[in-house]
Amino acid sequence: MGVQSASVDRQRPRRRTDRVAATGAILALAGCVALPLYALRANRIVNGTPLSLGAGGPAAWMLLALAIAAATASFSLAGKLRARVELACAVGMMGALLWALGFAAAHLAPDVTSPARVSIGAGAWVAVAGAAVVWFAAVHARPGRAWRVGALVALVVVVVAAAMWGGLGRLSIVLEYAVQGAAFWSAVWTHIALAGTSLGFAVAIGVPLGVASSRIPWVRTAVLSIVGVMQTVPSLALLGLLVVPLAALGLPGIGPLPAIIALTVYALLPIVRNTYVGLTQVDPSVVDAGRGMGMSRWQLLTRVEAPLAMPLLLEGVRAAAVMIIGIAAVVAFIGNGTLGVLVILGWGGQVDDLTLLGAVPMVLIAVAADVGLRAAGRLVTSPGIRMEVS
Amino acid sequence: MRRRWTGVALVGAGALVFGYVVSREDWWSLVLRSLFPDLPVVVFPSATLGQLVVQHLGLVLVSSAVTIAIGIPVGVWVTRPSGRDFRELVSATVDLGQTFPPIAVLALMMPLFGIGTPLPAIVALALYGMFPVVSGTVAGLDSVPPAVLDAARGMGMGRWQVLFRVELPLAARVIMAGVRTSVIINIGTATVAAATGAGGLGSPIFSGINTQNGALVLEGAAAAAMLAVLADSMLARVEDLVTPAG
Amino acid sequence: MIRLEEVTKRYGETLAVDRLSLEVGEGEVCVLIGPSGCGKTTTLRMINRLIEPTSGRIMVGDRDITSVTPEELRRGLGYAIQSVGLFPHLTVAENIVTVPKLLGWEASRMQARVGELLSLVGLDATSYRGKYPRELSGGEAQRVGVARALAADPPVLLMDEPFGAVDPLNRERLQGEFARIQKELHKTVVFVTHDVDEAIRLADRIALMRDGRLQQYDTPENLLDHPASKFVHDFMGADRALKRLGRVRVDAVMRSEVPRISDGSDAVAAAQRAACTAERFSYLVDQDGRLEGWIDCRLLDRGGSAESAITHVDWRATTVRPDTSLKEALSHMLELGFRSIAVTDETGRLLGDVALAGIETTLTEGDAYSAGGPAEGGAQ
Repeated sequence: MGVQSASVDRQRPRRRTDRVAATGAILALAGCVALPLYALRANRIVNGTPLSLGAGGPAAWMLLALAIAAATASFSLAGKLRARVELACAVGMMGALLWALGFAAAHLAPDVTSPARVSIGAGAWVAVAGAAVVWFAAVHARPGRAWRVGALVALVVVVVAAAMWGGLGRLSIVLEYAVQGAAFWSAVWTHIALAGTSLGFAVAIGVPLGVASSRIPWVRTAVLSIVGVMQTVPSLALLGLLVVPLAALGLPGIGPLPAIIALTVYALLPIVRNTYVGLTQVDPSVVDAGRGMGMSRWQLLTRVEAPLAMPLLLEGVRAAAVMIIGIAAVVAFIGNGTLGVLVILGWGGQVDDLTLLGAVPMVLIAVAADVGLRAAGRLVTSPGIRMEVS
Repeated sequence: MRRRWTGVALVGAGALVFGYVVSREDWWSLVLRSLFPDLPVVVFPSATLGQLVVQHLGLVLVSSAVTIAIGIPVGVWVTRPSGRDFRELVSATVDLGQTFPPIAVLALMMPLFGIGTPLPAIVALALYGMFPVVSGTVAGLDSVPPAVLDAARGMGMGRWQVLFRVELPLAARVIMAGVRTSVIINIGTATVAAATGAGGLGSPIFSGINTQNGALVLEGAAAAAMLAVLADSMLARVEDLVTPAG
Repeated sequence: MIRLEEVTKRYGETLAVDRLSLEVGEGEVCVLIGPSGCGKTTTLRMINRLIEPTSGRIMVGDRDITSVTPEELRRGLGYAIQSVGLFPHLTVAENIVTVPKLLGWEASRMQARVGELLSLVGLDATSYRGKYPRELSGGEAQRVGVARALAADPPVLLMDEPFGAVDPLNRERLQGEFARIQKELHKTVVFVTHDVDEAIRLADRIALMRDGRLQQYDTPENLLDHPASKFVHDFMGADRALKRLGRVRVDAVMRSEVPRISDGSDAVAAAQRAACTAERFSYLVDQDGRLEGWIDCRLLDRGGSAESAITHVDWRATTVRPDTSLKEALSHMLELGFRSIAVTDETGRLLGDVALAGIETTLTEGDAYSAGGPAEGGAQ
């Protein structure tokens, strides 16, 4: 009796519908059916006309089938099997979507010389989001390590294959890239260089300010409130406000100088605050022990307090980096060739795909910085204090 | 208690002063003219500063209202048994979303809603502002000690009573902090949204940049900065007010 | 070794320490005790200049402590505190070599030192070396803290309630180990505690403080038997006789000539042979002299069966060690309901026993001493 009821209890949660995956599958389905996956433009500037699902060829129907399969699996299967089926469907959906996009592009704008363009439609974004949700749900349902890694490898293979043979090269955003070419990469590097330089300055200024704040009360009050107010000022407004003092100093109000100043200022708050909090949350008894054993103030700071404050400090650097990668897009308005320039040109010329060509890499850079700095943070944090930095 | 209200009165006075100052177009033109004596135009010709502030606030208020109306319930829902399945998904989405550059979100909305109207800006602001509100709500509700919930249930409160009388009041401060972050980000992003034709205080800045007119840039920048700082201190006071005493 | 001359510490209007003079001899354990706020911790922290005295002079060895920098001074004085203060980001080994590293020792020497110290404080060197503080229990952390204080072999140890945050059972064990280590190393120790029993057990001399002033500075025996004031009398507590037992070790009153039967094969025959001795009980040991149990001879005399007369025991649960305090031995006896308790070494070999009567003698002697104390008895 007891054994029976226990086994029922154990099975019940597995039998339940995977509501997260179901939501993702339905989202993907809606992307296919209710919204256009792709739009055809007579040339790069005019608004697109939505294309029917079938324009994507067999891959489009496969996408639809996989979305239905994922939904069915989330309702009817259970356990590891369900997780694996869902994962396979998610990878399949992403692959099928790319092939469908490529197919549509290759067939409707086949000629390199033709001005016609096939753009990514709203439905495609929704379908990708849906597939990602299914993937997320599947991975959290423990399909096993081999499956998780396998799915990633499969996705990479599918993307590469779609790019090489699936006609993705004819997609409008890729054509925009082809047109921009060197300008695109220079925008990427300018973006990274501006954000990186400012982050360097912010660390060089912010960490000492944070240390000083943790030692001297009036410095803390002054620094934290000034930096806090600066933080609330809109980035575009700060750039505008810099015009007058810079002009008074005979310096240009546009270009990299005001950009670096503004980015540094924005990066300061998380760095100063986290340095300060990191240092003040060090257990006083640890500091007392260090002092009592004959450490000088400098040794105490470098050998005890700094390593203990490091996880929080790095979290601050991460937050600052992500923030200023975003603001580095805004400084394009004052004559810096960051990825923001592509966005602005896209807005100005109503070329949506040019806007995307600026926005998508920007997101990728920000996410990469986020992931990379989190990993770096874990790497340099002593295993003795590795904590849950969210 | 008294200090709290002094703060509120101070901020209220600040708001009135700000309102009056932006309505005095003549003061602005006087000051800007003295800074930029050689420019043909020193104040934004297409709209008065007052109109721009109203436009700007309109963008922010509408989008923030949407954000709050959706964000807080979503945050509450994923901490209830009915939404628990979605909690991880929502947290991951919120974490990811917060790393997105605001301008990228704005840019991604453009192809979907077309350029030249405030609609894509409002959608982008509402979406981007959602992340801090949801994460603040979840964090706030998580911060309520389980013992308090136990006590509340033990006294015979129903689920909704526990939520409205115990959890939300205790979580209010953290939720408000999320709202504050969201609104401040929105005020900043709305400035940039002027480039998409959404109007607001970004308009004189862009106009000034395009015509190399520092006065217009300064006009918009100064007003936007004041608005943001004022809004931030107002919301900070609200945060204080919703904090249960003790 | 350590001499405080008219040392005063003033915080604004309040006197934390008031013209304190104190001398601690080389190799002595001086325990500073008193109610909270009496200035004992302030006094300790003035010795390594974590707090600078307002006036007065402190000598360590033959040097005024202000003649060197605080850092240099502290590196020569071991320091252990209640909250341990292990560096959470460093391993046990790295924590222990903190001071040697500051002093610039060679790596190989530090490695060897870690091994020595860990085994000294009773931790397995190989398995504990690489652990981080968060993986240690409270007692283990405290041992590592003591090892860290001893790392550079300082002649002086300053300890601020080092066992204060440990549960009573572990605290007793740590005190025992501290006493053992101190017997081996002969450090000059200044030890702050608020626990009278701990003070009595560990101190060579106790400095009892109140409101920044020294009330009495003497051996634990004299503090118990000849309190200088009612305050001292009250502070040391009413159960002074019992407390005295905390200072006496089992081997001081142990009877080593005990009837014992060493027989591996035939316990019953042995029991019958034992029946003729005058003692009621006879201990049963194996060939190596390890305690196995005992035989109730009176039960045999009355015609009880041999099986019923023999009690087999696990020596670990029912014996004490020669260095156990009489107080602890008494508590064991009361717990077990014995009138005497066997004493064995670490391996269980029978060394002798202690009878209730022997403890009583010590108690009576104590009473005789305390008769000379102040007459205002009835203090709590």
